[in-house]
Amino acid sequence: MNSDDDKKLQALDLKIAKAMQIDVPPLVMPELPDIEADNVTALPMRRRSTRAIWFAVAATIVLASSIALRMSNPFQTYDTLAEEVLAHLDHEPAALRVTDVAIPDNSLARAVPANVAVFDRDTTLITYASPCIINGNSVPHLVIQGERGPVTILLMPDEPVSDVESIVGENVHGMIIPVGDGSIAIIGPRGEPLEPIQQNVLKSVTWTT
Amino acid sequence: MTSSSKEGVRRQRFDSLVAVYYPDMFRYAAWLCRDKAIAEDVVQEALLRAWKSLDSLRDEAAAKHWLLTIVRRENARYFERRRLETVDIDDLSASQAALIAESPNEELAEMREAIYQLEDDYREPLVLQVLMGYSTNEIAEMMGLKQGAVLTRLHRARHKLMDKVAEE
Repeated sequence: MNSDDDKKLQALDLKIAKAMQIDVPPLVMPELPDIEADNVTALPMRRRSTRAIWFAVAATIVLASSIALRMSNPFQTYDTLAEEVLAHLDHEPAALRVTDVAIPDNSLARAVPANVAVFDRDTTLITYASPCIINGNSVPHLVIQGERGPVTILLMPDEPVSDVESIVGENVHGMIIPVGDGSIAIIGPRGEPLEPIQQNVLKSVTWTT
Repeated sequence: MTSSSKEGVRRQRFDSLVAVYYPDMFRYAAWLCRDKAIAEDVVQEALLRAWKSLDSLRDEAAAKHWLLTIVRRENARYFERRRLETVDIDDLSASQAALIAESPNEELAEMREAIYQLEDDYREPLVLQVLMGYSTNEIAEMMGLKQGAVLTRLHRARHKLMDKVAEE
């Protein structure tokens, strides 16, 4: 498929996504019944060797400690969007690995659904893409490789900011830029020149919400 | 932890998930059944079912997939119960027409009507790919198809839409 076909397909998908974007009525929560322990059916016990149990216990402790360190409270609230963005970086350390392996197109498409934004990856080396939760909204979280290391990009169509906000964290710096009715956060290692990345991202992203 | 505080944490977890994914659940249901009123019923049933089986959701990252799968099953159950007949585009009920009528411009209205008229087999994978962002592999798993079949349906769906929109 040549680039003209790609562009036609992208334009068609954009139209389809917009057409599918119907208005959603306000949520009316049904009456939720009490969940009693009696309603839960216990699974039959399986015999396991003592050794396997100790392995499982050890693995659980390691996993639980790691999760507890990373997400001490999944429902924690933050005073500012910048604080939440910084905290989110700590929650997903795996995203920040240095690599030259690009993620496949379908992973990018899954992280950036057509009803949120179109991201023209062009020649950008994208090494991580996943939908994440910021301020209660699912947002695309991308990582590209900068000059000094991985640079995080969060596309936040539902988070308006009135002006550019600086982000300064431990060994990282960045900004939240107003884009249309939303914003985009770009955070890189300290000393990473973010200006060219910002220009590139602004050219690459089109909101479709 | 007391049982009431456990229930509170459970409810908080549920509300957080629903707040994020309710729009996706509703839009998926609406494009599956092509009727906004029925979609509301389907989503209500899906929310109830999700609440009852919330403890089976171990991985929060899988929540969207889990909720949409519940919506899909509830939609199938709804139509098993009602056995609704398909209707002609010129003979729609108010809530069916509402899906198309709210389009802000003519171009979008044409596309919405074209999507509405797509057969279920073509419309559903397209919704899952374009609106929900799933890969063809994931769609194949959700719909119980082979990946090749999904690719074929997506290809045909797009061609049908292009033809339909070009006609109008």
